[in-house]
Amino acid sequence: MPLLTFFINVFVPGKFTRSGFCAIASIAISLLCSLLIFIAMWNQPFIHVQTNWFTIGSWSLNVGILLNNLSVLMLPLVSGIALLVHIYSTKYMQGDPYLHRYWAYLGLFCFSMLGLVIADNLLLIYICWELVGFSSYLLIGFWFTRNAAVQANKKAFIMNRLGDIGFLTGIMILFSQFQTLDVISLFGEKGLVGNAIVTGGVWTSGLHHMPAGWLTFAGLAFFLGAVAKSAQFPLHTWLPDAMEGPTSVSSLIHAATMVAAGVFLLARIYPLFNDTVLIVIAATGAFTAFMAGTIALTQNDIKRILAFSTISQLGFMILAMGVGASASSLFHLGTHAFFKCLLFLGAGAIIHEMAHLKEKTGLDYDPQDIRNMGGLRKYMPVTFVTMAIASLALIAIPLTSGYLSKDAILIESFEWAEGKGGWYRLVPYSAMITSWLTAFYISRLIFKVFFGKFRLKEKVGLHHVHEAPPAMKYVLVVLSLFCLFPVFSLNPFMFEDAWVIQGFPQADNMTRINAFHTVVPAAVNLISVFLIYLCFLWYGSNKPAPDFSKNGLFKFSQQQWFFDKAYNTVFVAGVLSFSRFLYQFDLIIVDGIVNLFGTIGRGFARISDWFDRNIIDGLVNLIGYLAGKLGKLIRKFQTGRLQQYLVTMLLIILTLFIYKYYTAAI
Amino acid sequence: MSLLSILIFLPLFAGLIIVVLPSSVREGYKYVALAAVIIQVLISAYIYLHFNGNVFTGIADQNKYQLVERLPWISLNLGAMGKLQIDYFLGLDGLSMPFMLLTSVVMLVALLASWEIKINLKGYFALFLLLDTAILGVFSALDFFLFYIFYELMLMPLYFLIGIWGGVRREYAAIKFFLYTLFGSVFMLLVIIGLYFSVTDPATGYHTFNMLSMMDPKNYVEGSIFSALAHNELFGVSARLLGFIVLFIAFAIKVPIVPLHTWLPDAHVEAPTPVSIILAGILLKVGGYGILRVCVSIFPDAAIQSAWWLGLIGIVSIIYGALNALAQTDLKRLVAYSSISHMGFVLLGIASITPEGISGAMMQMISHGFLSSMLFFLVGIIYSRVHDREIPHFRGLALIMPKFSAFIMIAFFASLGLPGFSAFIAEAFSLIGAFNSESINGLLPRWMAVCGTLGILLSACYFLWTLQRMFFGETRLFGGEKWKIQLTDVNAREVTALCILTAFALVLGIMPSLAFDKMNASVLELIRLVNLK
Repeated sequence: MPLLTFFINVFVPGKFTRSGFCAIASIAISLLCSLLIFIAMWNQPFIHVQTNWFTIGSWSLNVGILLNNLSVLMLPLVSGIALLVHIYSTKYMQGDPYLHRYWAYLGLFCFSMLGLVIADNLLLIYICWELVGFSSYLLIGFWFTRNAAVQANKKAFIMNRLGDIGFLTGIMILFSQFQTLDVISLFGEKGLVGNAIVTGGVWTSGLHHMPAGWLTFAGLAFFLGAVAKSAQFPLHTWLPDAMEGPTSVSSLIHAATMVAAGVFLLARIYPLFNDTVLIVIAATGAFTAFMAGTIALTQNDIKRILAFSTISQLGFMILAMGVGASASSLFHLGTHAFFKCLLFLGAGAIIHEMAHLKEKTGLDYDPQDIRNMGGLRKYMPVTFVTMAIASLALIAIPLTSGYLSKDAILIESFEWAEGKGGWYRLVPYSAMITSWLTAFYISRLIFKVFFGKFRLKEKVGLHHVHEAPPAMKYVLVVLSLFCLFPVFSLNPFMFEDAWVIQGFPQADNMTRINAFHTVVPAAVNLISVFLIYLCFLWYGSNKPAPDFSKNGLFKFSQQQWFFDKAYNTVFVAGVLSFSRFLYQFDLIIVDGIVNLFGTIGRGFARISDWFDRNIIDGLVNLIGYLAGKLGKLIRKFQTGRLQQYLVTMLLIILTLFIYKYYTAAI
Repeated sequence: MSLLSILIFLPLFAGLIIVVLPSSVREGYKYVALAAVIIQVLISAYIYLHFNGNVFTGIADQNKYQLVERLPWISLNLGAMGKLQIDYFLGLDGLSMPFMLLTSVVMLVALLASWEIKINLKGYFALFLLLDTAILGVFSALDFFLFYIFYELMLMPLYFLIGIWGGVRREYAAIKFFLYTLFGSVFMLLVIIGLYFSVTDPATGYHTFNMLSMMDPKNYVEGSIFSALAHNELFGVSARLLGFIVLFIAFAIKVPIVPLHTWLPDAHVEAPTPVSIILAGILLKVGGYGILRVCVSIFPDAAIQSAWWLGLIGIVSIIYGALNALAQTDLKRLVAYSSISHMGFVLLGIASITPEGISGAMMQMISHGFLSSMLFFLVGIIYSRVHDREIPHFRGLALIMPKFSAFIMIAFFASLGLPGFSAFIAEAFSLIGAFNSESINGLLPRWMAVCGTLGILLSACYFLWTLQRMFFGETRLFGGEKWKIQLTDVNAREVTALCILTAFALVLGIMPSLAFDKMNASVLELIRLVNLK
């Protein structure tokens, strides 16, 4: 029975993509199936069904479906959020001339994302992984006449490709070492990866071995894949640009689901990572979280703020993976999916209204710039309340879901650092600072958008602005319910009681240090509340906010740490000029040599032509000439006079006679 | 006459019909050709369906070939020197059978692209069909002499097809192509003669051109030049290695490898669209097929010796070709350089001598056959409309040619290895095989495969960049409004051809077993043969 539902689950979204209704119906069926599977499978032993796909040499590739807690958690999460976004899109995308393509792309995305979470084979995961990237490419560039959008989707795909080659390299290493790509036999209990041993610099599994460096390399390669997909430093720059796509897409793909695929991958292949790789993971996560948090402080585009916030939160998840708190990481993945999706959809509703306003009034302004907004609380109350709840969850205020998951990560990273000591403590402290930054930038957003006075009021009346249409409004309300604690845990203060955490194996390498469990949340929350208040003072009232724009740090943050510029000048321009150089090399040197041979050949031909004409033909002509001369000479004998003939004959005979006579003597 | 002979000589026959037809029915020529090619596709489909890949492994054993046809052809009694015997010897195994199908399908597409040819129709279609015969002959000949004849026979029609119906610099391109390829094959002839005098037919005891006999070290005359036991040296190099290198260069020019590739961009750019399709779709595969069938099978010891270099050449071709593609402003040149890059994977896979690698290389050749044909077909569509294909001259084509843009997106994404299309499986397994090589036979270091993945990244760069520059954004054309009218969307004939190619790429990507099952046993047998040495 589960098998049948899987098939519906997997193939339905891909198939009926012509119109919105079919898309919604199919994704709803998917959700239903996912929920059934979830209820049936949660905390049950895993199910693994396989079928042979193809055979190369003596090696058969079996692909199939693997359902364990990880995948059955992701299934309803993905399909649930996808369903809500689908419903939301019916209004948001209304009237777009290419709407059927939109549904088709969304269907492709849902198909590949669901495929990704249930695939049992690394190659299959890779396939879905790339298809997810491809559908994201299509959706970012959905408005393909906009130059920025097509630049952004190219960038997103290429950066993801960079991660893909890491993933592929990892696959090659594992295949070469273990001759299988099956997730269970590799990473399951008593899996091959677990049984492989590293001794004396050699990584051995059965008969196969390779230098131990390849183990680390494999871990790093897979991590590179995750870095690209989950937009971590140094490959994070595609995500803010990806906001060029429709907001509903940003919400589904670039906030809730696809970007979480990297975290999901890390969870799937967790046993592969050795200590070195884990430290790299933790450090990358912490740094990314901090960096993105600082950038989000100064952005003015509402979607960009949220994008950097996403990067920052993904950094938290990656960090949690690195410190061994994979359960908390997945927990945060789940909670974040809801509140970030909500924030984006709310932002979408605002942008929708602002864009309508722009159309009606004919004014030219950027509908996404928060400097143009303000005071919207009175006109869009539902949006305001739901977004406020989501923001509180993002800040991790008690009673919200974010509190449970983020504090879990913070506490566990403190415990991890305590076990390691030294510089490792930088990781949890930077995470803590980041969560304060979070409080600041999200409250800045909320206060600027919803409080104070509408900043365009002098030019236009506000009576055009009104609440989002029902399809959008109720989606926001549903999502906001998922931002509250009871969905995840009955105890609002203890993350360990959350059912998600209990569904995964606990990290056992840390000792529980009770002090952290009270001090850390308290510290985080007190300072966060203070920061929120500060934000309110600065941005929530009508008084002008303090101006930092002359500050060097401000510029550094506003320019997003200059990553884009650096990448453009170093990598893009570098590769392009190198390729132009190579092309010139190809034309001038490589092809030049070929043409040189041609020229030399022609030169030789000319020489031999000359030789032929003058020497060889000359010889022939010379012989002819000589024959002619001889003939002329002999002609002189043909005088016709008999006496002369007789004399000549006599002379010849005499000569012969003399010759004969003397030769005989000799 | 066996089915195979019918398949090979059917196009020739149709070509002769076209030659004798009066020019009053010149519009009918293409339909004669089309009928011949369609029958050819049907026959090869029949062969494919009835091909039993598991029992008939082929490679070195005549009994393991299918549709074998062996007739004495040239037989000269040379007195004391024995008997000169050249056989008309054909047969198919898992290495050659996929190419028969590929050739037929690509020929069909090329023929559909030939509708644009307007001048000298009789000559064009006659040469086209002659070329068809020669290619099919190369893929099925098992006698080296016969192979060589077909191999050379391919050159002549191509020379005229490029030189007469080509672009502006057609004479230069045609002569360059002809001389370059001839340069390789002349030396090949020397090796063929050397092999002839080294190998005897176990049945008759006379020297033979039979390729299968050449694969068995027992058939070599003691002390002969290419005998593995004699360790002869020529110019200070092992004779067998030298023979391998010469044959390899001959085929590598066809593949082509860097740095012997410069004929390719010129020939592709100057050739008319159908000829570009044939060149990229099939001719390049003759090179890869030759390396497998001839170089690796006859000189396995030398192949193992030079595997490292083969792999290196593969890597260099992949990256060099891709970087060059990035620098192009002419769409057709871009596709030509991307061909070089993609064929690098073939060489890398072959060099690994692992089942994954060689299967991947075979798959890459088949998949590239379909996809590069598709790319050249698409480029040809734009060129035939406005006689321009400079990338900066176009912008926002997606708005005025939506169907065309959809096809080009399919072709680009399939070529850059999007899963679901054949190129993904092919490239992934070429690389996996190459990586695995160090663990299995120690031929290729692991870093080669890791470098090879860069090619996948770069192919995404140049294809997506082109897509962004030419197809997206607001429409802006170099030729203004006039072009806008000329650039009509694809018509039914073009859609048919493109759909055929898309279908093959997609089916092979989703069900690669359709190809792998047929050639698996042959690949394993080839590897067994190589490892015997």
